[in-house]
Amino acid sequence: MTSLYLYAIFNGVVLGMAIFLVAAGLTLAFGIMKIFNFAHGAFFMIGAYVAHAITGQEASSLPLFLGAALVAAMVVGSVGVLADLAIFRRLAGVPAEYTLMAAFGIMLLCTGVTRIAFGQSVHAIYPPAALSGMFFVGFPITAYGLFIIGCGVAVFLLLEIGLNRLWFGKLVLAVARDPWMANVSGLRVQRLKLISVAISFALAGVAGGLLVANQSLSLDLGHSYLLLAFCAVIVGGLGSIRGAFIAAIIFGLAESLNSVLLPTMPGIGVYALLIALVLIRPQGLYPELSQ
Amino acid sequence: MILDAQGIEMSYGALKVLHGVSLRVAEGETFAIIGPNGAGKTTLFKVLTGERMPSAGTIKYRGEDVTRMPAYKRARLGFGRTFQVARVFSELDLKTNVVISIESRLRYSGRSPGPWWRWTPSQEVRAEAEEILSRFGFPQHRWGDEAQYLSHGDRKRLEFCVALATNPNILMLDEPTAGMSPSDRREMTKLLSLLKADTGITIIMTEHDMDIIFELADRLMVLNYGEVIAAGDPEAVRDDPTVRKVYLGQGHQHA
Amino acid sequence: MNRAAHIAILVLFLAFFLAPFLVHPGLVFIAGFAMIQIVFALSWNLLFSYAGLASFGHAAFFGVGAYVAAAALRDGLPLNFVLVLVICAALGAFAAFLVAIVVLRRASGIQFAVLTLALSQLVVILIGYSEFFGHDEGISAIPRPVMNFWLFSVDLRQPLVNYYFVFTVCVLAIGLMWLLVNGHLGRAMRAVRIDPERAAFVGIDVWRVRVLAFTISGAFAATAGALLAPWGQIVTPDYVNWLHSAQPMFASLLGGAGFFWGPVVGVIGLSALNYLTRTFAGLSEVLIGGSLIIVVLLAPQGILGMLRHLAGRTGAEKPGGHK
Repeated sequence: MTSLYLYAIFNGVVLGMAIFLVAAGLTLAFGIMKIFNFAHGAFFMIGAYVAHAITGQEASSLPLFLGAALVAAMVVGSVGVLADLAIFRRLAGVPAEYTLMAAFGIMLLCTGVTRIAFGQSVHAIYPPAALSGMFFVGFPITAYGLFIIGCGVAVFLLLEIGLNRLWFGKLVLAVARDPWMANVSGLRVQRLKLISVAISFALAGVAGGLLVANQSLSLDLGHSYLLLAFCAVIVGGLGSIRGAFIAAIIFGLAESLNSVLLPTMPGIGVYALLIALVLIRPQGLYPELSQ
Repeated sequence: MILDAQGIEMSYGALKVLHGVSLRVAEGETFAIIGPNGAGKTTLFKVLTGERMPSAGTIKYRGEDVTRMPAYKRARLGFGRTFQVARVFSELDLKTNVVISIESRLRYSGRSPGPWWRWTPSQEVRAEAEEILSRFGFPQHRWGDEAQYLSHGDRKRLEFCVALATNPNILMLDEPTAGMSPSDRREMTKLLSLLKADTGITIIMTEHDMDIIFELADRLMVLNYGEVIAAGDPEAVRDDPTVRKVYLGQGHQHA
Repeated sequence: MNRAAHIAILVLFLAFFLAPFLVHPGLVFIAGFAMIQIVFALSWNLLFSYAGLASFGHAAFFGVGAYVAAAALRDGLPLNFVLVLVICAALGAFAAFLVAIVVLRRASGIQFAVLTLALSQLVVILIGYSEFFGHDEGISAIPRPVMNFWLFSVDLRQPLVNYYFVFTVCVLAIGLMWLLVNGHLGRAMRAVRIDPERAAFVGIDVWRVRVLAFTISGAFAATAGALLAPWGQIVTPDYVNWLHSAQPMFASLLGGAGFFWGPVVGVIGLSALNYLTRTFAGLSEVLIGGSLIIVVLLAPQGILGMLRHLAGRTGAEKPGGHK
């Protein structure tokens, strides 16, 4: 029996890492550019489709798999930059609700375009051979699951260290905290913002490319991860990488344990947790960057 | 004793802005808080009105502890407030601005502002709003103007109307004449004097214009770096050497 | 401008009133849908333009009304349908109240938006579990009721009667909302939207006004949903999803969120768009998504806002065109 729970916990951590991969870009986008990108899930989905287009149903090698994810990152990053230049920049002075609606519109647009381009069908995707192993330590552990956990931790460390320690990260944070002052100090604010946008969207793309092997590829892919990522970002505190990381794991565990404990009602654990956490701590775990 | 604040301390994170400020204001008094910028005047104001909760200290309004009471409840008890940069309902016209205030007052004092389905304000409410607007120098043809197009001085006057429409017992005025032209300033001072004379309302104000302070204030308090460095009646404070050094400047003369 | 506006409203009213005699049954069917969407969009705009809250999951309340009414009709509940409508409105109000209590603890624009979205998804999930509500298939072949009042009966199986029933309920709902926003409650809501702190300092309990606005909005959204059950005779989870939540948002922006009648104009435009793209899967999402972006960027004050600008009344061009 315990092995079942251990399995659920393992899966929960894997799911949590997957959520974090999606949430990282989202919370970064908010922290730096103060836009809450509703369309993040759509970009994630585009990343998945792009990667799939390169590797086919099963990537023939690990490097190809990773390479496809990187390509997805670049494609989505560029699309994101375009979106920022064309749309989000124009909405700088306007009440937040309008930016949200524009992002919502982008999400619908992307979903629609993808539906038209790729059709309604659902594709089953498999991880590359190198990652399709399984180990038994009393309960099954998939190599792919470990890979995801590794990616999640890597991205977390990269962002935390990158933002807080490296000079480039500090510039980005400076721009986030006080754009006017950063400008006055000679920082190329617009360029830094653009780079941050690119990184944030690229993260969505990479997440899509890496995670696609975890699920079947369909249009709802964006939706399910997206909502969980939203929850993680809100509960973690808008703009906080650390908060998103912790919250993502919490939600991953909740979802996983939920499917073990209440198999007839999947998904409800997450919402119950969301409501409880919002009631207890409305500003999030690390409210540093939110108002 | 209408307001009794003791030992107010306030910190923004690690920065302590108020170090144990106390003040007592009697009913009908006009009390002024002055001091250099950054002294903590605005913070103290915000604590007194309920926008911020102090880290320590108590505030009693007519004997009732209101330290943790949110702003809207204090407003219902009788606090009126104007802001340094006048805040009015900018997309609405003058009359509606005042109407909203009146209707709110009726609502929270248990009388109904009228049936919910009436699509214009009731006769009473309208009459009262018109009376207030006229009293403060807004002629009838302007009542339909949108508040956002008012000049700075007019906005302050409108804000005054809105604040007074709730029949407050204590008016908190944050730099009531800031940014005004000299004639507007005299206008406002006159209004305040008349108000005091007519209603005996208690006023707490922060101001930089010393002439106005000396004309209106019964008592003063001087803040510097979050501490009270002098308090008392205007003449005494004006002649206080510390105050002169810190704020007034050696050459200040009462006009 | 006001005179022109009044005439336009009258024309619209007459158009809908005389629709069964002016156009063929297919379009009459659309007209009925349009009226329902108008009530739905108005309920959303009530919350957005009057109380200042952007709900991204409003379809959930619509769904509450639609599903409950559908189930009641399917199971032949011996209750006068008018009573069912009232019950649905009450349930919508209750659901909205619960959501408001949870979400308004931190009414920051973004958290509010995301949480409304998440909670509406919760409703979708709950419906999806449920056998009673037909899982992913929804409830179909909904029978149209006959309502017996003491002296006469209203038989919704007759298309003409059905249409005028929907018409009457919608006009009533619109009228109620209009009275509300122009009354003292509406003024308090607007005060809360424009400057919550100033409102607090005249004694308005901002939180309470917001919760009340949300509750009322939910009630009207649910009423619109409930009307859908006998009109369309089929209720599916599509009526509770994100795309459907976007409809009132888009309709309000397109028509002009700052005007009470904005959503009406927007729904008419939207209905045309939906009708034209109904067979092309994905196209409606593209068009609505794309149009939403365009409207937000180029014409946030909507059609009515642009008309007013052209009429040269004021120079005010704030997004939303709030007056």
